[in-house]
Amino acid sequence: MSRMVIPIGPQHPLLKEPLSFLLTLEGETVMDSSMRLGYVHRGIEKLAEQRTYVQNVVLTERICGICSHIHTTTYCQAVESLLGLEVPQRGLYIRTLMCELERIHSHLLWMGVLAKNIGLDTIFMYTWRDREIILNVMEEISGGRVSHAVNTIGGVRNDLTKDQMNMLKESLALLRKRVEELLRSIEKERSFKIRTQKVGYLSLDDIKRYCVVGPVARASGMDIDLRRDAPYAVYDQLDFEVPLMFEGDVWARSKIRVLEAVQSIHICEQIINAIPQGPVSVKAPRRVPAGEVVSRSEAPRGEVVYYVRSDGSQNPMRLKVRTPTLTNLVTLPKQLKGLQMADVSVVIAGADLCIACGDR
Amino acid sequence: MNITEFLFNILIFPGFLFLLALALGLDWLDRKLIARFQGRVGPPWYQPWADLLKLFAKEDILPAGTNVVFTSLLPLLSFASVMTALFYIPIAFRRVPSFQGDFIVIMFLLSVPSLLYFLAGWATKGVYSIIGGNRSLLQYFSYEVLFLLAISGTIITSNSWSIEGIRQAQFEQGAFILPQIFGFLLALSGLIGKLKRGPLDIPKANSEVIAGPLTEFSGKKLALWILTNELQTVAGLSLLIYCYFGNLWQMNKLSGFLIFSVLLVLMQCLLSAISAMYARLRIDQLIRLNWYLLIPLSLLHNLYLIIK
Amino acid sequence: MKKILNHLRTFIYLLPNITSVFFSKAETIKYPQEPSNYSSGFRGSVRINQQNCVGCNACVRDCPVSALQLIKVSKESFSLIHQQDLCTYCGQCQLSCKFNAIYLDNTYNQPSADRKNFRVVLLKKGKL
Ligand code: SF4
Ligand code: SF4
Repeated sequence: MSRMVIPIGPQHPLLKEPLSFLLTLEGETVMDSSMRLGYVHRGIEKLAEQRTYVQNVVLTERICGICSHIHTTTYCQAVESLLGLEVPQRGLYIRTLMCELERIHSHLLWMGVLAKNIGLDTIFMYTWRDREIILNVMEEISGGRVSHAVNTIGGVRNDLTKDQMNMLKESLALLRKRVEELLRSIEKERSFKIRTQKVGYLSLDDIKRYCVVGPVARASGMDIDLRRDAPYAVYDQLDFEVPLMFEGDVWARSKIRVLEAVQSIHICEQIINAIPQGPVSVKAPRRVPAGEVVSRSEAPRGEVVYYVRSDGSQNPMRLKVRTPTLTNLVTLPKQLKGLQMADVSVVIAGADLCIACGDR
Repeated sequence: MNITEFLFNILIFPGFLFLLALALGLDWLDRKLIARFQGRVGPPWYQPWADLLKLFAKEDILPAGTNVVFTSLLPLLSFASVMTALFYIPIAFRRVPSFQGDFIVIMFLLSVPSLLYFLAGWATKGVYSIIGGNRSLLQYFSYEVLFLLAISGTIITSNSWSIEGIRQAQFEQGAFILPQIFGFLLALSGLIGKLKRGPLDIPKANSEVIAGPLTEFSGKKLALWILTNELQTVAGLSLLIYCYFGNLWQMNKLSGFLIFSVLLVLMQCLLSAISAMYARLRIDQLIRLNWYLLIPLSLLHNLYLIIK
Repeated sequence: MKKILNHLRTFIYLLPNITSVFFSKAETIKYPQEPSNYSSGFRGSVRINQQNCVGCNACVRDCPVSALQLIKVSKESFSLIHQQDLCTYCGQCQLSCKFNAIYLDNTYNQPSADRKNFRVVLLKKGKL
């Protein structure tokens, strides 16, 4: 049978962000694939060196559109530990709350994209409808739907009022119902399972070899979660489980994400009940003492690592970001090999790529 | 019959314009229903008309190196064959020439567009079109067979090869829908595959092959393709109604027309619900499901009908 | 028996969902047209309390996109200019100002085709 090379991307209905694959097909089977990155490289790391620490909070928020809050959180943590600042508890609680809201939002969004890619538009519409609840809450709390601008060095900017807490409580109750229904759907709905089970399998060894992080790793039985293993913010005071599955296919990944969303709702409810009174931020000095620091946190897609080196001036000397997308991206050629053409969309969606994160 | 009446018949009432209105109406219903199933508002009633008009007004672009005559002929031919098929299907109180074997003619005419659809993929030379074309051919070979086998259960029971004959037989034996509900469901799934909609829109799966064979088409040609598909829906659904609900209405009566329309709408609801409920299957899964399960089932069903 | 029913249910799992959604109100908002309401924290445009500003330059220094510009002649006469097309409405200027002068509120400007309309002189003090 003759071979055919078909391009997927940079512009393709399957991809929401620019990324390019060249697939060599034999009939419907993918024989080989090559990948090209860097379409949305913006030079953010270099740019950060020319800006002050305060300005970089806004800049790091622009790294990713979906998990914008986790990037600023990690960055602020790094700078705060360089400065030796003690962030007030209330500030940390609000920070954590936003992180978890963002995780729910990201997982629901991802679920919709996967459903759309396998042609199940109904689930796509339902998850994005439910995601709207979260976006409204986040807008109410922070004033922005996507770029929340909640974090600042030394704490958070916005305080939670009584009304906002009540709205949050109501929304979470509604959302819990919806997400549990979604969980039942993906467990039971046959066509969804037929399309996603046994597709894009990654064994535990592969996970270790490629250093995969986040839900993709947890779906293959790798028990890592920074929220539990190296707690930051107030995660050590909260009670939650880290869901774990062993199937290692796209279905397990989708189920684990929905389970995580349920856990996140649980965390948010705890935060509302346990949030202490007090100030939300402390004043941070402009100059940061010399030194270097690594800050890690668990983004919706996995581990985010920030490395900041300071030479005592107003600007960081070096800012290095490692996002989870990049580590998960390198497994794609392995997953794609030998697949049916129709499964390519499932696998690419299953890795939950955020190209803007990966390219920076 | 004088010439004005003739023209009126061809172009307006039982002819072209009426069918167009019916097809676009069903299309609107489909979109609206799916939108409501998904919690959206859905388009207003004139949306399919507006889309069609817009497409006809658009510039027609083809990739360099394609044969213009051939690619223009494809949508025209498929449109013509569906229109001809509709000419033999008596929609409500349209009087049509009926003869023994018109069923086979209709089935043939309705399968022509699927073949041309495959050719369209190869004629336009895009990689996505070629993959889509291959898929549509694979799907054609499985679902055409299923549809024919399942619906021929009614032919066996009524012992007639004409639409009118099948309908008359139901006046004597009662509607076939109850005794042959199984065959009806099989035929419905065959029809979904034939119309390339719902969970079986594999050749034009947009997250994989963009729009399949139609990727490179635009303007009037695309409009004709879309129109063909909508008319095919009308033809397929009316065929099912004739074969399974034949005795529920009288010809040439307003009440008959109303009952027919209600049935048409109900069938469309069924199709829309099915396409809202399931994820798209993969082509190999589809073929396995079809040849290992559905076609043997329909054969058994027919065997049972023959023995009875 | 119940097991068989549950098994059969998986073939039409979404049916109850789509029927209940069908009979409830559509989730699409702002269609045909509804007035939009903003959240209390919505950041729409940058404003200033004229009398509070002392021209200390803190907001200008911290603005991440250099959307603010301070033209200063002396302590009494200066003007603060806001370039709306550059601004990301991040709210950093509000945070940096120690005198409660600059702030963001939830009004917003109509779009315009001319760049000049986006250059807003927030305040003008003294002789320039
Ligand atoms: S809101 Fe942000 S971008 Fe706009 S002027 Fe203030 S600091 Fe600059
Ligand atoms: S607005 Fe505030 S920070 Fe900006 S110049 Fe005036 S007093 Fe200084």
